[in-house]
Amino acid sequence: MSVSSRRKITQILGAELDKLITLPLIWFTIMGTFIINLVLTRAFTSAGLQGAAGTQSILNIGLASMGYLQAGFIILGILATCSEYTGGQIRTTLTTIPWRGFQLSAKHLALAIITIPVAFIIAASGVLYAFIMMRDTAVVIEIDIMIKTIAGATGYLTLTTLLSAAIGALLRRTTPALVVLLGYYFIVSPLLRDFLPSSKNYFPDTAGSYMYMPPSSDEINVLTPMQGTGISMLWTLIFITVAIVFYRKRDA
Amino acid sequence: MLLYNENHNRKEVLWLLTINNLVKHRGKQEILSGVSFKARPGRVTGFLGPNGAGKSSTLRILLGLDRATSGSALINGVPFAELQNPLATVGAALDGFGAHRMRTGRAHLRWIARAAGLSRSRVEEVLEIVDLTKVAGKRVGNYSLGMGRRLGMAAALLGDPKILVLDEPVNGLDPEGIRWIRTFLRERAASGKTVLLSSHLMGELAETVDDVVIINHGKVVAEGTLEEVIGNHATLEEAFFALTSEHAGDAV
Repeated sequence: MSVSSRRKITQILGAELDKLITLPLIWFTIMGTFIINLVLTRAFTSAGLQGAAGTQSILNIGLASMGYLQAGFIILGILATCSEYTGGQIRTTLTTIPWRGFQLSAKHLALAIITIPVAFIIAASGVLYAFIMMRDTAVVIEIDIMIKTIAGATGYLTLTTLLSAAIGALLRRTTPALVVLLGYYFIVSPLLRDFLPSSKNYFPDTAGSYMYMPPSSDEINVLTPMQGTGISMLWTLIFITVAIVFYRKRDA
Repeated sequence: MLLYNENHNRKEVLWLLTINNLVKHRGKQEILSGVSFKARPGRVTGFLGPNGAGKSSTLRILLGLDRATSGSALINGVPFAELQNPLATVGAALDGFGAHRMRTGRAHLRWIARAAGLSRSRVEEVLEIVDLTKVAGKRVGNYSLGMGRRLGMAAALLGDPKILVLDEPVNGLDPEGIRWIRTFLRERAASGKTVLLSSHLMGELAETVDDVVIINHGKVVAEGTLEEVIGNHATLEEAFFALTSEHAGDAV
């Protein structure tokens, strides 16, 4: 790769990072997700302390809000791509960076760069809260398992964000993208798990959940964290590829 | 393929725009039916036509935003997407602000500058040129129509391009703004640069343009110098209405 190509890649990645960082909606979403997650974790921790949640570990309680927490990251992904279509910004983007596949890839990379630390902090804050509140009551857990689990949750939330961004790029409008993704994650997928129990492990969300959930002993056909990561990553890459193909072909 | 002015001792690139037999279908409708014309360096070319005549569609294809069904729109012999430094070659301002409403004007220009490897001081320069420095820290959603148009102009000027492509540049500007645009475009052309602008306002343009292309129902109905297109009519406006009326004759 030539020096000028490398410089161009750095410039475009920098521009995509600038776009995300200077959009207040992105920060509102991140802050809102952080606060709501802490509120939910507090509720789950209180339930855990009262014994309503049985003997769940700190990790289970700290990450019990993941099902709801992912909604914030879905919104983050959608905003990253659909915001291009507000105020005609897409025209400015494509007259500045006309290499479409390259530009959309750079946007996903920039989104990942922002999402990884944010997801880590949010996931870790939930676990930390649960740890502080339950340190006298819960069983002792090893720090390496804790880090692995938080890293898995970070990976899952990042892949969910990137997949949402790809769907956003395909649909181009925020509301339809929200309906499709929230509808899938909160209605369609839970229903399909009951109707298609044999293939549920291949859905992006259920496969991804094995990235951070300790395997349950009463469940058969469980995936390892690596298998869960592989399947979830495959879904994300497929949707990003489809989004790039459409983005390159259609009118802006 | 680059074109050179052989009258000069040293080879000098001609910043030529060549629209060749453009056809665009949208659904079953034919938006453009074989549009051909050229915009030459050192001249302001007015691309005139009533609303819906195909002006914006032509410019969007020229800027690589839309795909032509057939035909070509080339900048120095190459399509927009193949330009090495698009921002330094073509400055474009299409209808609307081209910026996200929640971002500040300065942040909008900064991400564009970052993508093209331009300095932040250049952002301040163009803000000064279009007289937006005082409101650069405000969100674009708070801008008036005229301020939004000037922001689009600032974005177009960032790379100090050889070619300017402006869609309805006087739309929404007050008389002072219109006068500024006129003077500015004349100065650009006088320095050897290429200016292509579209408009449906004949009166505002007669004093600005050197060459005129008139489009109606997706077809070029007249092309030539301002004097050639006016012909025996008293004004450009009269010539325009004569050429675009229902029973207008063949192209000039």
